[in-house]
Amino acid sequence: MSSAPTAERRAGGPARPDAPPRRRTVREFLQRHWFGYAMVLPVVLVLAVLVVLPLLQGVYFSLTDINDTTIANPVLDRPARYEWVGLANYLDVLSGDPAYGAFWATLGRTLIWTFACVFLHYALGLGLAVLLNRQVRGRGVYRVLLILPWAVPVFISAFAWKYLFNSEYGLINWLLELVGLPGQVWLGQSWLALASVIAVNVWLGVPFMMVALLGGLQNIPGELYEAAEIDGANAWQRFTGVTLPGLRSVSGTVVLLGVIWTFNMFPVIYLMTGNNPNTRILVTYAFERFFSGATRDYAIASTYGVLILSVLLVFATVHRRAMRRQGEEL
Amino acid sequence: MRSRATAAATAAALACLLAGCGSSAGGDPGTVVYWDTSGAGESAVFTEIAQECGRTGGYAVDVQTVAFDQALNNFKTAAQGGQGPDVLRADVGWVAQLAQAGLIQDLSGTPLADTADFLPEPVESTRYDGKPYAVPQVTDTLALLYNERALAEAGVEPPRTWADLQRIAPALGGDRAMFLNNDAFYALPFLYAEGGDLVDTATRTITVDSPESVRGLGIAKDLIDSGAARTALDQTNSYSIMKAAFTSGEVAMVLDGPWVIPELSQSELFADGQNLGIAPVPGPGGPIGGHDYVLRQGSDATANAIEFVECMSSTANQAAIAERLGLLPTRRSAYDEPAVAGHPVVSAFRPLVENTLPRAWIPEGNELLEPLKTAYAQVLAGHADAGTALDRTAGIYHETVLDGYARR
Repeated sequence: MSSAPTAERRAGGPARPDAPPRRRTVREFLQRHWFGYAMVLPVVLVLAVLVVLPLLQGVYFSLTDINDTTIANPVLDRPARYEWVGLANYLDVLSGDPAYGAFWATLGRTLIWTFACVFLHYALGLGLAVLLNRQVRGRGVYRVLLILPWAVPVFISAFAWKYLFNSEYGLINWLLELVGLPGQVWLGQSWLALASVIAVNVWLGVPFMMVALLGGLQNIPGELYEAAEIDGANAWQRFTGVTLPGLRSVSGTVVLLGVIWTFNMFPVIYLMTGNNPNTRILVTYAFERFFSGATRDYAIASTYGVLILSVLLVFATVHRRAMRRQGEEL
Repeated sequence: MRSRATAAATAAALACLLAGCGSSAGGDPGTVVYWDTSGAGESAVFTEIAQECGRTGGYAVDVQTVAFDQALNNFKTAAQGGQGPDVLRADVGWVAQLAQAGLIQDLSGTPLADTADFLPEPVESTRYDGKPYAVPQVTDTLALLYNERALAEAGVEPPRTWADLQRIAPALGGDRAMFLNNDAFYALPFLYAEGGDLVDTATRTITVDSPESVRGLGIAKDLIDSGAARTALDQTNSYSIMKAAFTSGEVAMVLDGPWVIPELSQSELFADGQNLGIAPVPGPGGPIGGHDYVLRQGSDATANAIEFVECMSSTANQAAIAERLGLLPTRRSAYDEPAVAGHPVVSAFRPLVENTLPRAWIPEGNELLEPLKTAYAQVLAGHADAGTALDRTAGIYHETVLDGYARR
């Protein structure tokens, strides 16, 4: 225990030679700190029950052939009949077979979706934050208006956008045709469907980035800008030399959060396009497998869950390394 | 199939699932909890009849309206945990899978097993493993609905075959002749057109990619390409676009079922059912649909639930439902009631439901439609020809849906 010497020193005096020092320090340590541990214990237990246990169960399910008909049902007096299948589910999924959701193609689409969304969130959010970070008349009104997309429940926004994208009677096609451009089938069987859901998700996600970055901007001391100006830096140089480095810690956090949220963003895609293979990402496919099979396929859905978690863990590790290399600790 | 996926319902149901929905009356044997999945225009009538059944039978009835698209999932989740309604209005395609999962009761030996008066095809949907698991509520199929005035002005009769449609389309303004709904259930008449089908249960073979099925689905694409019909390539909006196009007079014909007629009748063009023609689907026939009553396994109110279903499916109540909603009874005797015999929608659909093509009543039956939906959309959009798309569908059936079925 690394903190033992500290506790010993705090307890005052050297260890008695006749007692085993380690045991005594542990007891003393607990005597001093039992209250803190007691306070933390409920949280640890709740987290274990709500997070760790289901996670382990999910991992276990992904190694079985569990589904609707093999799961135990105490009400019907039916014992569990699912069996251990080892890595068979992973092999099926990772083979990229279309019958198991064409994993690699779906992963590619998920990455396009995630990075397109987060890039646009960040770029637009930063632009708006910089605009709002100065004294403009009616700044409060602008801020409220810009936060609006965030305040509306997602399913209402998705519904409204679905109407806007309607290929026959939608406002967007009507406007396009008004200026002489051909109307498009936005939510059909083409890449346009993915572009459409990305557009909607960007619209939904920009306010969060804007608010977070605005907070970051307000923490950059004004003297830095003054000093840069005196040194003859132009607006662009002040932006790249002062603003961006000043925002680095905020950016690192919001980008990481944005990636995780967007990677698992379910409602926008599901509510706007349903089971369209052109907008299928990993998490919507896991949902499809879980809910739309004759026998709900818990095993494949769990396999997807574990794979999604793995991808995100890899990303988070790489991200953290990159941030640390730049001297920021997350 | 009936009510299209509604975003609000989905979101509500998701929240519902998370919160552990399906709180029933807590096992009170004197209360029958009934999950009604009928549409907005229908549920008031079903609720009224259900309450009346409770009053005369001497038990309480708690009618809970559940969105059709989410009802199957909610029921499964609830029933697994020993909760949920005592009686569910289930789509005909759900019965076999609920029976297989052991979530609904075998009705052998109860008064509900007496099906002598019922039409044979709906009764088929209630059987699993040779035993009765449900009681048919209503039956339906797709029909060719047409704008009588538009066809009369063009001087044409409703088409009897798809070739007929090609022939008369120019007189109706080319692709304004018909709208094809971009959805799986609505693709079935095409799949059947040349003798194809999804599966052959007798030989346990997947037939969705057979030459007959491929040719049949190809007809739909030909109709679009030759300008004899149109569709909406954005699948999520397709059904609402179809209804809008039909009620505004933009297209002259659609394929749809009796459930849509109350809604169509609210439009100016088809006010009170005037001007709305009903004819058989071109080709050999349409798919059978409908709803059944099922009893949840583990329900504490089974005795009253049996009485409740008996009452709901009595000749008198079936006739009342038919008279007020234009839905088709499943009892032969109900068709003899004067109010039913004289009902224009019921009498127009009656010969059609007798001529439906049987569907495969297997647990996986309902799940065959989702992959077909994707394939149909890709065919209509021109991203894959019917052969390629259906070959892919057969692959999905083989790998993930149908256990123990062979490819051709």
